[in-house]
Parts: sequence; structure tokens; C-alpha cells
Amino acid sequence: MRFLVITVVLLAVAVASRFFLFSGDPHVEVAAEKLFSIGGFKVTNALFTALVVDIILVVLAWLATRNMQLVPRGLQNVMEIILEALYNLLKNISPKFIDRAWPLVATIFLFVLTANWLGLVPGGSSIGPCMAKEHKETARLALVEEGPKAGSIALIPAAAEKHNPYTTCPEGTSLIPWLRPPSTDLNFTFALGLLSFVFFTYWGFRTLGFGGYLSKFFNLNGIMSFVGIIEFISELIKPVALALRLFGNIFAGEVLIAVLTFLVPLALPMPIYGFELFVGFIQALVFALLTMAFLSIATTGHGDEHHGGESAHGPDASKAH
Amino acid sequence: MEALGINLNLFLAQLINFGVIVGLLWVLLYKPVQKILNERTARIEASLREADQVRQQLASAKRDYDAEIARARKEAAEIVAQAQERAKAQEAEILKQARSEADRIREEARAQAEQERSQMLREAKDEIAELVTLTATRVLNAELKATGHDKLIEESLAALGRQN
Amino acid sequence: MEGLNLIATALAIGLAAIGPGIGIGIIVAGALQAMGRNPEMENTLITYMFIGIAFTEALAIFGLVISFMIAFGVIQ
Repeated sequence: MRFLVITVVLLAVAVASRFFLFSGDPHVEVAAEKLFSIGGFKVTNALFTALVVDIILVVLAWLATRNMQLVPRGLQNVMEIILEALYNLLKNISPKFIDRAWPLVATIFLFVLTANWLGLVPGGSSIGPCMAKEHKETARLALVEEGPKAGSIALIPAAAEKHNPYTTCPEGTSLIPWLRPPSTDLNFTFALGLLSFVFFTYWGFRTLGFGGYLSKFFNLNGIMSFVGIIEFISELIKPVALALRLFGNIFAGEVLIAVLTFLVPLALPMPIYGFELFVGFIQALVFALLTMAFLSIATTGHGDEHHGGESAHGPDASKAH
Repeated sequence: MEALGINLNLFLAQLINFGVIVGLLWVLLYKPVQKILNERTARIEASLREADQVRQQLASAKRDYDAEIARARKEAAEIVAQAQERAKAQEAEILKQARSEADRIREEARAQAEQERSQMLREAKDEIAELVTLTATRVLNAELKATGHDKLIEESLAALGRQN
Repeated sequence: MEGLNLIATALAIGLAAIGPGIGIGIIVAGALQAMGRNPEMENTLITYMFIGIAFTEALAIFGLVISFMIAFGVIQ
């Protein structure tokens, strides 16, 4: 009964908010926007947020390890629980390489998690300076003001674009939020994917030898040579897939929240926020897990591998050892 | 590429930034945490080992104690048995002594009684003989003043002596 | 041209969501079955389930990224 009342009240709030709360155009931009430049170097809000994440992590690490005690208390305890759980989880995948990969994968998890959740901080994507538009978009999501679809959101060609009266920025400029999770910047996700790729390829070469690692992809024994070529392609796609997976998930979440907040300002985005918290956590974990799994696959010889590649069998095969 | 925001400078900046944060967290977070975890593991292992040792010590102490108690009990039982044996021997000794004493006393008493009786008999015999003789003398003196009666008196005296 | 762009956007993500949707369903169903039969393996199974989901979901995310590119005029 109480549940029903709460649901009805929330729905009423959602519907009512549609009529008396108005927002500017939803901020949806694939590229990270320039905030300021230092000596000709453009600092985008994603890079700026990456620095914020750096500071948060370093301060947290400093606070957690400042006064280490054998009986953990407070922040030290929390950090230890997180790191120990992550360590045990990753150890499951590749017990042999966990200690070598640990600094990288743990940082991937912590950094991506902090970055993802920073994008959900209220105001994070709506507070910032107004700046002149860098480049003309051909089309963007905006409020339709005239015609039969007035009040709804649609892709509007740049030429037909009208200034949204509810936007706080003057005409010709747009709001550049201070915080934009680096995970929604392709530069960052590709940098991370490349780092991960270089890391597991390096250990692949190091473990199997130069020829041994290459013979996983290029060999001349019948059907396996074709499988090798396919594996080579899937190997090259790995960092791209890693980067796009992170970018797509988090960016889609941001867009979803922006558009929903634009359409129904209150109540409806609430569950989406909860879901995005979960997605942010899972994506951070998945990036770390996949780096570990790829490392495990790369360091497994061809003879005892079931054609891992980008398939769910990969980790299983490596686990058999 | 431009529309996607991909830019070599930004890419390198993010790469370097991430590399730096990996190094920073390695020094600031992972190493200390790993160290404290290892320390704790070592401490716990040591404690467990110690507890094991204490338990073993306790068990051995208990064993010693039990053995001591058992030994003491056995000893006590032995002592009691010895004492009982000794007491029994003493008792037998005393009994024997008492019996022999009693025998002796009885023997003495009997000997004394015998002696007294025989003495009494002897005295009585003497007295009777005297009496008889007296009586006979008196009678004979009174009635028979003839000789030959002495023989009869002697005969009767002999018979009297035989009777004893 | 605008209409075609909208159709392309919708088709890119719509079609890309079909396969991964089915795939993730199969993965989770298999993982749940395995967990039901072997509850003490739950932690390991959840880890591999999420890895499998990530691989499968990547395909939908490719579609999503393509649809974003079309929608925001990155590719015309």
C-alpha cells in the first residue's frame, strides 16, 4: 500500500515537473570541449576531470596509508577491503601474472570507477563557463520550438537551430561543464586500451618468446593458419573494443540522463542514476577483468589454448592451468 | 576524427597522466597496503603457531599432571597395601603371641591346679590314712586287744594307697 | 537527408541490440544454471559471466557508437 502511494506521488511529481520546470538543451557532445589553453595546448574538460580524479585518488591514498595500523580502521579498512577483493577476483583469472599486472589493473579499476562516478555528481555536467562554439555541428539534439512537435526533443540541423530561451548562456555560446568523466572522452579510453594492449602483448612476447607469440597468429599448419589470421584480427580489435566499450557505456549513460532530465526533470531520472552507478562500477571492473583475461590469453601457448580470441572461452582455457 | 574529439596531444596527455597516476598509486597505495597485508598475514600466522604451541604445552602439562596423579595414586595404594600387610602381619604376630601367652597361662594354671590337686590329694590321703589309722587304732584298741589285727590295718591302708 | 540520418541512427542501434540481447540472455541463463547446480562456484562464475557479458555487449556498443556518429554528423 505504501509502495503504491509512493509510486503514485513520484509519478505525479514527474508529470507536474514537465510543466513548470524547463531546462536548457541537453548537453550532448561526442568530443570533449576545450576549457582553456596553456601555451597553445588545449585543456579539455575531460583532461581537467582526469586531473581531478588524480587528485582525488592521491588524496584518498594518502589519507588511507598516512597512519597504517595492523588493526585497520576507517578509510584504511575500506581501501584494504576494496583492494583485497579486487586482488582475489583478478587472481582467479591469472594467478601467475597477478603480481606483475596488479599496479596497472588496480589503477585502471580505481581510476575508471572514480571517473565514471564523478560524471554522476549533481551539477557535474551542468556547471561551467559559457564559451563560443568551437566548431559548427551539422546537427544536434535540441528543443523543437515550432511546428506540430513543439516541446519535444529532436535532432535539429545546425542551420535551423534556434536559441533555447531557458539556457543561461548568451546566444552563440554554449555551456562547457567543468566535469566530464574521462571515460566519455575517446582520447582517454583509447589511451587506456592502448596501454592495456601494449601491456599484455609485451608479456605475451616475454612469456612465449618472439617467434612463439607470433606463431599464435602466423603459422602454416592447415586450417590453423586461417584461425591464426582471424585471431590476429581479433587481437587488433581488442584495444578498440576495450576503448569503445567503456566510452559507449558511460557516454550512453550520460546522454540518457541528460535527455531524460530534459524531458522529465524530476523523479524519472532517479532510478537511472542508480543504474548508472552500477554500470559505472561494472565497466570499471570489466576493463580490469578484461585486461587480466587478455593477459592470461596472451601468455598461454597455442598448443594448450582453445582458440581464445574474443570469446568467453578464453579465460576458461587459461584457467585450466 | 576531429568531430570525435580525437587529438594526438590530448591522447598523449591522457596516456602520460594515466602512467603518472599508476606510478603514484603504486608508491602511495599498493605498496603500503601490500606491506601491511603481508605483515598482518605474518602476524596472524605467528599467532596461530603460538596458539598451537601453547595448546601443545597445555596438553603435555595435562598429560604430565595426569601421569603424576596416577603415579601418586598408585603410590598411595601401594603404601596402604603395605600398611595393611604390615598390620596384618602384626596382627598375626600379636595373635600368635597372645595365643601362646594364653596357652602358657593355661598351661601354668593347669600345672598349678594339678599340683595343687595332687598336693591336696596327698594331704588328704595322709590325713585319711591318719584318720583311718587313728580310728582303727581306737576301735581295735577298744575291742580287740589281740595281735594279728595290725595286718588287717596294713592291708586296708595298702588298698587305700592303691585307690589313690 | 535528415530523415535518412534518423532512420540510420535508429537502425544502427536497433539492429545491433538484437544479437547481444539474445546473447546476454543465454550467458546469464547458463551462468544461473551453473550457479544453481554448483553454488560454491558462484564467485568465479559471476566473474566469467561478466567477462562474457562484456564481450557480447561490445557488439551492441559498436552499434551504439556508430549510431552516435551518424546522429551527431561525424559520418554522413
